[in-house]
Amino acid sequence: MSTVPGASGVPDPAPRRPIWTRLYHGETNFDIVGRRRLWFAVSLIAVLVGGLSLATQELNLGIDFEGGVVWEVPANEASVADARDAVRQHGLANATIQEASSDAGSLLRVEAEPVSAEVSDEVSAALAEGTGSSIDDVNLTEVGPSWGREISEKALRALMVFLVLVTIYIALRFELKMAIPTLVALVHDVIITVGIYSLFRLEVTPATVVAVLTILGYSVYDGIVVFDKVDENTRLVSSTGGLSYSGMVNVSLNQTLMRSLNTTITSVLPVGALLVVGSWLLGAVVLQEFAIALLIGLFAGAYSSLFVASPLLAWLKEREPRYRDIRRRIDARGGEGEAVAAAVAGAGDATGPRTPAGATVSPTGRVIPARPRKKTKRR
Amino acid sequence: MRRRLWLPLILFVAAAVGSLAATLVTGASPLLGLDLQGGVSVVLEPTSDASGEALDQSVDIIRSRVDALGIAEPEITRQGDAVVVQLPGARNRDRALELVGETAELRFRPVLENLTGREVVEPDEPDEGDTTTTTAGDGSTTTSSTTTTTAPGEEGGGLAPGESAGAAQPTTTTSTSTTTSTTTTTAPTAPEQAGEPVQLTPRSEDDADAEVILEDEEGTGVYRLGPTLATGEIVSSAQAEFQNQWIVGLSMRGGEDGIDRFNEVAAQCYVGAPNPEVCPTGQLAIVLDSVVQSAPTIQQPTYERDAISISGGGESAFNEGEAKDLALVLRYGALPVELERQSVQTVSATLGDDSLRAGILAGAAGLVLVALYMLFYYRALGLVVIVGMALQGALVYAIVSWLGEQQGLALTLAGVTGLIVSVGVTVDSYVVFFERLKDDLKLGRTLRSSVERTFKRAFRTILAADISAFLGAAILWWLTVGSVRGFAFFLGLSTLLDVVKAWMFTRPIVTILSRNHVFTDMPGFGVARGLAAAPAPGAGR
Repeated sequence: MSTVPGASGVPDPAPRRPIWTRLYHGETNFDIVGRRRLWFAVSLIAVLVGGLSLATQELNLGIDFEGGVVWEVPANEASVADARDAVRQHGLANATIQEASSDAGSLLRVEAEPVSAEVSDEVSAALAEGTGSSIDDVNLTEVGPSWGREISEKALRALMVFLVLVTIYIALRFELKMAIPTLVALVHDVIITVGIYSLFRLEVTPATVVAVLTILGYSVYDGIVVFDKVDENTRLVSSTGGLSYSGMVNVSLNQTLMRSLNTTITSVLPVGALLVVGSWLLGAVVLQEFAIALLIGLFAGAYSSLFVASPLLAWLKEREPRYRDIRRRIDARGGEGEAVAAAVAGAGDATGPRTPAGATVSPTGRVIPARPRKKTKRR
Repeated sequence: MRRRLWLPLILFVAAAVGSLAATLVTGASPLLGLDLQGGVSVVLEPTSDASGEALDQSVDIIRSRVDALGIAEPEITRQGDAVVVQLPGARNRDRALELVGETAELRFRPVLENLTGREVVEPDEPDEGDTTTTTAGDGSTTTSSTTTTTAPGEEGGGLAPGESAGAAQPTTTTSTSTTTSTTTTTAPTAPEQAGEPVQLTPRSEDDADAEVILEDEEGTGVYRLGPTLATGEIVSSAQAEFQNQWIVGLSMRGGEDGIDRFNEVAAQCYVGAPNPEVCPTGQLAIVLDSVVQSAPTIQQPTYERDAISISGGGESAFNEGEAKDLALVLRYGALPVELERQSVQTVSATLGDDSLRAGILAGAAGLVLVALYMLFYYRALGLVVIVGMALQGALVYAIVSWLGEQQGLALTLAGVTGLIVSVGVTVDSYVVFFERLKDDLKLGRTLRSSVERTFKRAFRTILAADISAFLGAAILWWLTVGSVRGFAFFLGLSTLLDVVKAWMFTRPIVTILSRNHVFTDMPGFGVARGLAAAPAPGAGR
C-alpha cells in the first residue's frame, strides 16, 4: 500500500496549514483507504463487543415488549411509600415504584405486571387519591404481552423490505458492488447501536426501534453521497491518469470529508438538543429514547460510510481484473502520489465540459484533462 | 434565462408564504396527537385472523359507538391488522375504554309503545321527529307483508317491518309528506300526538331485563321497549337479498337457543293476536348498542328456521344500503371480530403540554444551533440556508395544519421528533451543493459560472440520497403501527420537500445572488469568503 504523506511532490499553495484550514479548503489527503486494515479492525472489535454483549445478556426491554402496566402520577407531597400503600391493597405488592423528578415537578412511576382493566382503573383512582391529584392527571400505559413482539416483528419486516429495496435501488442507480458495502455498513451500524444498548443496559422501547430504523436511512443516505462522488470520479482511474481505484476512492473520500463532517454536525445538533431538552424538561421519555439511539447511530453511520463502506468498496473493486491491472502498473511505476495530490488539489469537479478555458488549469499548474474519457464511466 | 430562475423561486416563496398566511387566516393549526394534548389511545388486535373487510366493519361500528359518546374528534383507524382508537381529552375515558372493542349484545325486545313523534328529552335534540304517528304499523305493514310473504318463494313468511328508518313509519297515507317534513317542521307541532316529552333511557342504564325507551339511529323513531326476549345468539346468518325489493333474509340457529326461542317470541308478538302483556304492538325491536336498528311487525305465529325475512314496507322500503346494514348488525351482533386490547395509553393533559413544550423547545434550539453553524461556516450562503429553512418550515406548518384539519392526521410527539430529525437531511442538501461549489471555485472558476453546473451535479446526489431516505420512510409508514407511522410520515414529507426546495429555491436564489457583488464580495461575510474562493476571482464580466 503505497501511501503519500502529505502532498509531497506538489508545491502546496500555502506551505503547511493547520488541519482545520486544510479540511475547510478540502485539501486534506488522509489515507483512509490505505489504512483499511486498521478501520476494519476497529469496527470488528466494536461489532464483536456489541455482538458478545448481545449474546450474553439480554436487552433491557421496556414494558412495551414485556407487557405490563405503568401509572405515572404527579407526586405532589406523596412519597414512594404512600404510593406503595395505595397500590398494595389492589394486590400489586410487587410493583416497582420510582420517583422521577423533572422540571415539571416530581412524578411517581408505578410499574406492574399486566392486570385486568378493572384493577388498572381502581389503581388509577387509588393513586390519584393517595397523591391528591385528579384522576385526569394519571398517565396510564397498559400493554398486552404480545404487543412488543408484534412491534418487533413489524420492524423486522420493515427492515427486510428496506434492505431488499435499497439493494435494488443502489444496484440500478450505481452498481451492485456498491450495494454490498452499503449493506455491510448498515449491519455494522445497527449492531453497534443495539450493542451499546445491551452493554449499558439502556431501556429498549418502541421509540428505540424506530430510531434504529431511522439510523438505517441515515446510514444509507450518507453512504450514497460518498458513493455518488466515487461514481463520478471513476473515470479518473486509468493507468495513464495514474490513479488506482483505491486511490480514487480515497480522493473521493477526502473531497466529501467536509460534507460528511458538516452533515454530521448539522444532524447531531438538533438530535442533541432533543436529548438535552428531553431529559432536562421531562425526565426519561420518548424524546430521550429517540435521541440516544439516534445519536449513537449518527456517529456510527458517519464512521461507517467513511471508514467501512468506502474501503470495502475499493477492496471489492480491485479484485476485478481491470482495476487490478491498473493498480499493478501504477505500483510498478512507483505509486500514485502525484496523481492523488493533483486530484485532491484540483479535481473537485471535472465533469464540466465546455467550461471557460481558464478553468482547466488548476492552481497547482496541473492541466486537468479537458474531455474526460466517457468510456470508463459506468454503464 | 431570467424567467427560468425567477419563476420557480417566486412560486416557491409564494407557496410557502401564501399557505402560511392562509393557515393563519383560517385559524387552522396542527391537530395535536394524544401524547401532546392528553387523551386515551387504544390499540386493538383481533384474537384470531380476520379479514380486512371484517376489520373495516369493526372500525365503522366502533366509530359509531364512540361518536355516540360525544367525544370530540375521535380518530379510529385501521393500521394493518390493528385497530387504533384515539380519543383526545382524558374525560369520559373509562366509559370509552369499555365501549371500544367490547362485543355489545344484540337484543330482541318487544315494542310496548311506539312513541315516535313525541318530544324527546336527552340526549339528542328532538327536532327530527316526524309528523305522523298514529300508532303505526298494522295497516301498512299488512300490505307490505303480502309482498314479502310471496317473495321468498317458500312458505316461510315475512316479518314485516316497523322499519328502521323511523322517518317513514309505515303510515302509508302520510309518508310521502313525512319525508319532506323531516327537514322542515318539527314533531311537537303535530297536535294529536304531542303528549308529554319522553325521557330516553341513558345508555348506561340500558339493562337487558329492564323496560327502556330508545330511539332509532336517525333519532326519528322512539319506542318504549319491554325486557329482552332473545339475543343475537339465536341468529345464525343474515344477508341482504333483492326480491322485487331489498329485504334481509334471516336464518336462525336450530334448537332451543335458536328457532325455538324465536318462535316463542313470535307467538307472543304475532300481530294477529299479540299478547297484550308482553308485546302489545306486535312489533319486535332489534336493538344494538341502545339503538333500535329496526322494529318489524311479526306477521306469523311461527316460522321456519331459514325462511324468515324482514322487508321495508311500502314507502319505507329498504334501499340496498339499509338492507345491508341491517344484515350486518344481525349477523355480527356487534363487532364482526373479537378484538383484544393490546395497549392502552392514557396521557394526562399536563404531560401532553410538557411534551409539546419540550418538543418545540428542542426543535427551536436545534434550528438555532444549525443556523448559527451555517452562518459561521458559509457566511452569506448561511443566510440562504436560514431563509430556506424558514420557508420550508412555513410549508411544513401549513401542510401539517391542513392535514390535521382535512384528514384528521394528528401531529404526535413521534412526528415532532421526525421533523426535528429531518433538519439534518434538509440542511445536507445545502451542504452537498455548497461543498461542490467550493471545489469548483478552487479550480479558479468564478462563482457565477460555477453555480448552475455545480447544482446539476449536486442535485443528482441530493436526489439519490433523498430517494433512499424516502424509501426508508415509506416502508416504515407502510409496515408499522401507531407512533412509528407519525414519525415516518413527517420524515418522508420533509424528504420530499427537500427535493422541491433544492430545485425551486436553492438553485435559483444562489444563481441570482452569485451575480450580486455586494453579496459575493462583502468582506468577511460575502459568499466568496464562505466558499473560500480564490481571492478576487475577477468577478463577473
